[in-house]
Amino acid sequence: MANDTQEIGSMQRFLERGLKWVLAPAALVILYVFFGIFGRNYFSYPTLVNIIDAAYYIGFISMGVTFVIITGGIDLSVGTVMMASAIIGGTALKHGFPMVPSLLLIIVVGGAFGLFNGIFVSRLKMPPFIVTLGTMMISMGVGSIVSNVSSATFPIRHTPGGWFKSIFLYLTPAGVGVPTGAILLILVAVICHITLSNTKMGRYTYAIGSNMEAARLSGVDVRKWQMLVYVIAGLTAGIGGISYAAIYTTVLPAQGQGFELYAIAAAVIGGTSLAGGVGTIWGTIIGVFIMSVLATGLPSMNLEAHYQTFFTGVIVIGAVLLDMYRNRKAAEVRIETPADAYRASMAKNIAALRQELSSRAAARDAQGAAEARKRIAAARMEMRSTFAKMKKEEKAEQSRIRAEERAAEHKFAEALGRKEPSGQKEPERP
Amino acid sequence: MADGPGVVEDLGGMKVDRQILSMRRIDKRFTGVHALRQVDFDLDEGEIHALVGENGAGKSTLMKVFVGITPKDSGEIHYLGHQFNPRDPKHALEMGIGIIHQELNMMDHLTVAQNIFIGRESTKAGGILLDKREQARRAEELLRRLNMNIDPEEPLGRLTVGKQQMVEIAKAVSHSLRILILDEPTAALTDAEIDELFAIMRDLAAKGVGMIHISHRLDEIHRIADRVTVMRDGERVDTKPTSEVTKQQIINMMVGRVIYEQPKSKSNVAAGAPVVLRVSRLNAGKLVRDVSFDLREGEILGMAGLMGSGRTETARAIFGADEVQGGAIEIRGRRVAISSPEDAVANGIGYLSEDRKRFGLAVNLSVKDNMAMATYDRFERGLFIHAKKVGQVSDDYVHKLNIRTPSLEQLLRNLSGGNQQKVVIAKWLIRNCEILIFDEPTRGIDVGAKSEIYTLMNELTKEGKSIIMISSELPEILRMSDRIIVMCEGRLTGELPIEKASQEAIMGYATMGHQAVLSRS
Repeated sequence: MANDTQEIGSMQRFLERGLKWVLAPAALVILYVFFGIFGRNYFSYPTLVNIIDAAYYIGFISMGVTFVIITGGIDLSVGTVMMASAIIGGTALKHGFPMVPSLLLIIVVGGAFGLFNGIFVSRLKMPPFIVTLGTMMISMGVGSIVSNVSSATFPIRHTPGGWFKSIFLYLTPAGVGVPTGAILLILVAVICHITLSNTKMGRYTYAIGSNMEAARLSGVDVRKWQMLVYVIAGLTAGIGGISYAAIYTTVLPAQGQGFELYAIAAAVIGGTSLAGGVGTIWGTIIGVFIMSVLATGLPSMNLEAHYQTFFTGVIVIGAVLLDMYRNRKAAEVRIETPADAYRASMAKNIAALRQELSSRAAARDAQGAAEARKRIAAARMEMRSTFAKMKKEEKAEQSRIRAEERAAEHKFAEALGRKEPSGQKEPERP
Repeated sequence: MADGPGVVEDLGGMKVDRQILSMRRIDKRFTGVHALRQVDFDLDEGEIHALVGENGAGKSTLMKVFVGITPKDSGEIHYLGHQFNPRDPKHALEMGIGIIHQELNMMDHLTVAQNIFIGRESTKAGGILLDKREQARRAEELLRRLNMNIDPEEPLGRLTVGKQQMVEIAKAVSHSLRILILDEPTAALTDAEIDELFAIMRDLAAKGVGMIHISHRLDEIHRIADRVTVMRDGERVDTKPTSEVTKQQIINMMVGRVIYEQPKSKSNVAAGAPVVLRVSRLNAGKLVRDVSFDLREGEILGMAGLMGSGRTETARAIFGADEVQGGAIEIRGRRVAISSPEDAVANGIGYLSEDRKRFGLAVNLSVKDNMAMATYDRFERGLFIHAKKVGQVSDDYVHKLNIRTPSLEQLLRNLSGGNQQKVVIAKWLIRNCEILIFDEPTRGIDVGAKSEIYTLMNELTKEGKSIIMISSELPEILRMSDRIIVMCEGRLTGELPIEKASQEAIMGYATMGHQAVLSRS
């Protein structure tokens, strides 16, 4: 363990910065362990595969949505765009399109819808909420029109073209599923992460979300980058469409409504702020897996799947509440009282003793080291008890002052009530 | 400008026994900062008491303690002879203490009357319906009593900043005030508006309201205040009747060192210096009409004018921030087309906005991100940003400009105004802009940081960069400029070499257009 001064310092630093990165992963682990203990057969390989399976399509679309939200926008169309592009690809397949072009078509259709959103938002300055709400309905309609309101079925395993299922789930000859899609998900996540943190586009994404006008006045081509984030959201929706087709084989028309809200929820759980300027891909991925653990875990506890929606809602609100609380805590100015000063000075003493101990130990002075250890223990004990006492006294003093102040205030208010202060009337002059 | 203590003479005799506020040994600590050290402060009935000091000197903290925004650690406040412990600003307001913040907190879409009486609306039909007529009548009466020429039915957003501030004062006064705190009330006002504000303040003082006037503009203190308290590093340095101190003495007390604010005596630009930027017959919106001027290499061109004279609009038009209706811009003799800030930046123009929070910085991003914002395209290595280089360059400029920040990752909102401004300047220096437009570069920042920015500007011009400086503070214009152009009502009305410039001459040109327009109509 580090010495006490460092302990205090790093603890504060952790509360201010680190906590943000730990809370969501910790929640994920806790949930997983919780279902492992209380659920049926939860700690098993098939369940793990299920968790990952359930994360794909929301995972892909939520990454694109994270880009959009970081710029301060919103994309309500990703869910239906995902399904529309999948069904358009499936329809092409049905009409004799080969497999690879069909899959590419899915991505292109997704990107095209994204471009549509991007043009309306960035060039015509329409509110993203409205534009993407419209696109949500349009894409649903387009999917139905193109497919002629019939479902599209993708090839199953061991038929021509069935290989594409293996991109997401590889079945060994023994029939064991290997969630290969996780590799793709991670790959896309890494690309998105690097784009956000290490490219011009990423830095501009944050800049636009933090202060669009300042970015524009810094010579950033806001229109171009803003349009591109919607294209990215469309492209990831396309990839999501492929993953959906691979996992569920059959794609029905006019579906996908509601997925966008899960994607937004994942981003928010992961710490992305709807006000823009803040968010990470890793956070979003954690958010996706939290929802996917819920989706698989609740049924294992004999709770119907629709409990998932309920608990996801609770987690979204909880996550944002926690984030706000944490931000406020980090911004709060701490008041240093004599007790705190005492603790800091004692911590310094102990650190000095520690140094002495380590030098003694290095010199193989067993007796000296033992003595130093004893002194450290005594100092720590004294520090704890004195600090607690001082804190208690400070608190008592404070409440005493508060009581006095209240009394004085009461008296004052009474006195004022009689006098009636007024800046409007001429003050009475003696 | 008429100044001097004459206007407050009639208040001179009534100091004794009229003390309405006495703060004693106020102490306040934040983590690592001793913000207030045993500060005493008094205020008399009908007194205007100026409170001055650099940013971080503790004046705002003292006022926050007084109105209950921040609790004090120790010390006593006696108000109207009673011990007073405000819980929050609302409580203070109920007790007759109002505060007007630097940034106005009002609703643009509501009318003046609605803003004044928000939360205390006049009602009829047993409190169910709003009585708009009654409310407007009350507002009108109030505004008339305060000699404010404002229509209570006008939406607030349509008023000038100066009028909006008066509405805020009216709102505060409508709460039976005994004490009014004004935090930098003149920062955004034109001289005419300041005169009007001061007239209203004197009027209030005559009615017995005590006022605490926080200001960075020391020229005002002698015009308006009866006493001045100077703070430095959380301590009260001294309190004196304004008639007994000079401006220079106040400055010395504030900074603990001597700063001379002398006008520049002669231009530093060499006679044959080439023209870097030529603007001809620029037209944009209502406030840029046929503006033509040259900027020479190594020159600081001061752009003076009253609020609303079109200076900022001209700057934004040159920078491509707003649409331009006509005119030509040449850089080093070459005609350039600038239709967006991107074009301007590509042509080596940088623009430091007058409103840095809105237009200059992303307060939720780090120091590094803000500094590199205009230059990321030059930091690319292949597809990626050369993060190490960004770090090195930003670190360089943090040292060069003496920016006080714990790290490059610090979020900009945690920096003081002066340091934020330096970050914006660094943004343009990293971009290596040849032409810099500084719009009110020292607004709202303290004396120390101000002089650092002045020094920096002089160094930049020595390196051959050219600066257009827009400023509402005439002493600043006179101190920094090599040449001064004056705008009024969207037109350029005058040009003065620094050797011939004076406040009077500038004001003459700045108000010239008013007359010209008046005589025409």
